[in-house]
Amino acid sequence: MERIRIIPTGDEIRAGIVRDLDSPMVMSSILRQYPTAEVLRVAPVNDTALDILAALTAAADSGADLAILIGGSGGGHRFSPTLGKDFSHSAMDEFVQNGCAREIYGKNGHLWCRLVCGKRNGMMAINLPGPYVEAEAAINAFLAAEPERMDFEKINHAMAEAVFAQYPAGSAEKR
Amino acid sequence: MNRQEYIIAAADKSILKIFGVSIKGLNTRDLEQRLSERLHTLVRVIGVTGQQIEMDVYGIEPEQIRRDEQALLQAVSLVEGVTANELCTLAVSEKIVDVDIQKVPDKPYYGCARERWVQF
Repeated sequence: MERIRIIPTGDEIRAGIVRDLDSPMVMSSILRQYPTAEVLRVAPVNDTALDILAALTAAADSGADLAILIGGSGGGHRFSPTLGKDFSHSAMDEFVQNGCAREIYGKNGHLWCRLVCGKRNGMMAINLPGPYVEAEAAINAFLAAEPERMDFEKINHAMAEAVFAQYPAGSAEKR
Repeated sequence: MNRQEYIIAAADKSILKIFGVSIKGLNTRDLEQRLSERLHTLVRVIGVTGQQIEMDVYGIEPEQIRRDEQALLQAVSLVEGVTANELCTLAVSEKIVDVDIQKVPDKPYYGCARERWVQF
């Protein structure tokens, strides 16, 4: 993991309405594990599947080993018109050629988070939820899951468990 | 996708919305921490525009949030990146309602169950 791209998403991040706290945290976590890595945080990407896909493709074309997409992992606009547009996971589905995904649903049937992990050509790609605490849990789980081994199932499982653990304890079940 | 798995989080939550604020450079972590301390529960920012903030509040009764309205609005006004206007107010939804587990997807899908019920 020598060339890493952090790709924050969200119109509210791009407009400066919300400060991007996640990217510096993610960069710090990465540098703790890979002190010689070249880590680039690209400009925030608009909430459209095409823009996010283009950012992932640009990262791959630049020779990156890893792209980390932040935000847009829930159902968002699909169930509330006042929420942001969540297209990160759909762009990831389009981009990744082989990989794994896990979805966390609320008991109301709404998608709370979809995490995708996979690879296209030589670049691994993962996505993180936008809320800081969940993003921090997910990136730390990713780094602890030996990402160099490219065991996407193990990585995806670890990240989903870490995000899931951020919800109130003892109140969940798996299928 | 080679493999997919689905997890159901059975947590109770309500949606809390704050209106009548001007937002620029919001520190969401600061906001979550201040409201979590005030409400003694987990709070997550899930949506922000220039004039309103939408949050998930887990595990407490909506009425408890409403009773604490003034203190909550005061806490929000202290958050970095928020300017509270005179008409600053809040609204709280009722707790989310359970759906039949069979209604949750069992195949790859990146929308949400409600989307299918209304056939988007």
